[in-house]
Amino acid sequence: MDRRLFMQVAGTGALAAGSIACPRFFRKAEAAPVIPAGIPTTCELCPNKCSVIAELRNGLIHKLNPNPENPKSRGMLCARGNAAIQQVYDPDRLKQPLIRAGARGEGKWRPVSWEEAWDYTARKLSEVKEKHGPQGTLWSSTEGFQEVFFKNLGMAFGSPNILRHPSLCLASVNLAYSMTFGTVPSFDLLNADFVIMAGANRFESIITPDTMDLIGGVMERKAKFIYLDPRFTVTASKADEWHPIRPGTDLAFILAMIHVILKEERQDKAFLEAFTLGYEQLAEHVKPYTPEWAELETGIAAKDIVRIARAFADSAPRAVFYAGRRSSWYTNDFQMRRAQAILNAVVGNWDRQGGMVPNQKVPKGEFMFLPWDDPKAPRVDEVEKNFPLASAKDGVYLPLRENVLKGQPYPVKAWMVYKQDPLHSVPDQGRTLKMIEQMDFVGVIDIAMSDTAWFADVVFPESHYLERTDPIEVLPGIWPAAVLRQQVAKPIHDTKPCLEIVQGLAKRLGLNDFFDYTIEQWVEAEARELPIANGLEHIKKHGVVAFSEPKYGATRNPVNRFVTKSGKIELFSERLQEAGHDPLPKYTPPAAVPEGRFRMVLGRKATITHAGLTHLPWLHEHHKENDVWLNPEPAARLGIRTGDLVEVASQVGRVRLKARVTEEIRPDCIFMLHGFGKKSPWLKRVHGVGAADAVLLETAWDKVSGNAAMHETFVKVAKV
Amino acid sequence: MAKKSRKRYAMVLDSRKCIDCKACVVACKAENDVPLGVYRNWIGAERSGEYPRLRTSFDPEQCHHCENPSCVRVCPTGASWQREDGIVLVKYDDCIGCKYCIIACPYDARYHNPETHTVGKCTFCTHRVDRGDLPACVETCPSRVRVFGDLEDPKSPVHQLLSTRRHRVLKPQAGNGPQLYYLL
Repeated sequence: MDRRLFMQVAGTGALAAGSIACPRFFRKAEAAPVIPAGIPTTCELCPNKCSVIAELRNGLIHKLNPNPENPKSRGMLCARGNAAIQQVYDPDRLKQPLIRAGARGEGKWRPVSWEEAWDYTARKLSEVKEKHGPQGTLWSSTEGFQEVFFKNLGMAFGSPNILRHPSLCLASVNLAYSMTFGTVPSFDLLNADFVIMAGANRFESIITPDTMDLIGGVMERKAKFIYLDPRFTVTASKADEWHPIRPGTDLAFILAMIHVILKEERQDKAFLEAFTLGYEQLAEHVKPYTPEWAELETGIAAKDIVRIARAFADSAPRAVFYAGRRSSWYTNDFQMRRAQAILNAVVGNWDRQGGMVPNQKVPKGEFMFLPWDDPKAPRVDEVEKNFPLASAKDGVYLPLRENVLKGQPYPVKAWMVYKQDPLHSVPDQGRTLKMIEQMDFVGVIDIAMSDTAWFADVVFPESHYLERTDPIEVLPGIWPAAVLRQQVAKPIHDTKPCLEIVQGLAKRLGLNDFFDYTIEQWVEAEARELPIANGLEHIKKHGVVAFSEPKYGATRNPVNRFVTKSGKIELFSERLQEAGHDPLPKYTPPAAVPEGRFRMVLGRKATITHAGLTHLPWLHEHHKENDVWLNPEPAARLGIRTGDLVEVASQVGRVRLKARVTEEIRPDCIFMLHGFGKKSPWLKRVHGVGAADAVLLETAWDKVSGNAAMHETFVKVAKV
Repeated sequence: MAKKSRKRYAMVLDSRKCIDCKACVVACKAENDVPLGVYRNWIGAERSGEYPRLRTSFDPEQCHHCENPSCVRVCPTGASWQREDGIVLVKYDDCIGCKYCIIACPYDARYHNPETHTVGKCTFCTHRVDRGDLPACVETCPSRVRVFGDLEDPKSPVHQLLSTRRHRVLKPQAGNGPQLYYLL
């Protein structure tokens, strides 16, 4: 791609700094300019997969610099990405395989050889298989480039119970947009003139390229930005308007917007006529959802809803109601996301510059491995029966845990975990601990001693992302890319990449034939079909293969068939109706906050998104412990001041942490950051410091997608 | 155009674009081996208003590489010095850790390094700038708050921004001639 052109488009101030020949002032320490020996690779600290160039000094990784060739990462590297080096050189990281020597969670470990760890794990898995069948094993993981090897081992072993992270994250948004458009689009914030975000805290929870495009849009192009959130976040501080909406009522706001737009005939009639199905039903459906009605639900004045709806429609197609990412909020989350999708469709922003754009992909090859038989048993989470529209290959986390705890429809007695800390990422830590207790075996693959690893029987230390080569990953988007993660430095401890850990187990489980390849062979096969000459050489040298030119409008063609039942954009969905759900999003009010309680809402900070990042010193310095946010009004009532130790209790757990009395939250909500209150002493900076949100969160899920509903917990707060 | 022999490095900041993400702070720590607990750059936050009419503004700051640096004036050993291109540095070998410069700096931009017992501060990443790269904080910034360059070069983005946009400097009354320019 033309990098220089791209940088201009992205509004970046690229400096054309020539080399400077004035070394005469320099002392010896600064005399020889250091030319960085850069190795391009791909960051793994969050799901954005930004391209970095690793600079080495004396064999040590000195600095990670942004690689501007990846259009998705927009030539930046965030605080987390910069701090990745500290994971590598963390004195407390996992350095060799460990087998539990005392009781679970007691912290007595026996360092063992890889052979012993593999033998022991393979024996335990085989014992469970003999007694309960292969379906008696659960394989859960979060997303990552080597996740494919881990889940393939579970599948080759014969287990149907492969459990991935979407149902703790974005399953509802993915399903809602897929059911409407047949695909999950991106939002062209680089060109949008009017943006509405509800709870998507894009300036603290960085998503590339959206975060960078939005700040440029708002500050340089003066795009209008409306933000709804019970908290005054950094995103709220940059918005033209912040509306502290009553939590759980976003759907009312959206339905009222559609009501106004249709009533005042501000919709894109030609687009609706040509590409959508169910306009008449929609028009009828939204009649009762007046702005006056929505005012009572949301707390946002009817005149404001009308004004925002008009401005939104008038700015279309350069207007978007942004989907958000971690959409695990309420039990009606799917229907709320569907309403967003429909609102976007109504103003005709589909596949237009500044609107909602279907993703492009950079093609790549596939490595052909020996296939295995499909599992004989059904999934333990009964996803096909209870969530027929959800992704069966990803599973539904909370319903799964409930079934495993009940032993229904069959017992699951071994749990393998890759790159995930379910004790923090899954609501109700107490129940997850119970699930661990009732397992005959728990094995964890990770880079650090997470809380889940702390309660495991075997811990496999994975090599850090800077120490290994991974498969090529395709990043779909308006500016799509394919990226390579390649080894920057040799592992400094006795660690292995996930593939080699999997191969050691496969050999002992009689599954060797399915994993009889190297990472180099895998990457080579993928690189063969990259759309560039000498693909492998190119991606090794650059780290990225990218298209710089967005394509707009390819699907706005009368012969285009959308991947939906009717082949059209489905405002009204027959498939939802057949599955027993509302074919158009029907409003159900959220549960009222009981007297004397608060609704717990979650969110992230730019330095801390994932629970595993809080102990990295450069990130930890900015947030040494978490506190609970409380509005001054209830705080005064409860006699709580900033810094007081308080107890926060839900129906499933109680924690103690300090209070922060702040105007930046609604009086009926509380908030705390994620990733504190760790049980693992190997995460010493956050061990026993602050509190874990997962202890408090109760079990609830979205009815359609099975996505965890993490804003349905009410808590009491009391001064200790 | 005749080539200027002298450079004058400066930084232009658009604080409104700052999202307080700390990327600049962490990048600086990594690039310059800055110990924990002390900082060469930082982001100040100013909060005002009452619920729900709230405001927050963020102000990223570091050494202002002043035209007339008081730190250099007060240094008893000559360890604090200024390059011809305006960058203010500390010669660690000559620094005796007396901290006069820390007190003299109107911007509180210097710190005492607990490991080396010398004074540390932002160097505008001279080692990167001299090889043609941008300072680490500038390069890494997700929201492109900072623009770095040579004020003497009319084609440089800093020159162009300052000649077309309203801007201010912090504490002009200190008389130091600070070279961090904040867009209004």
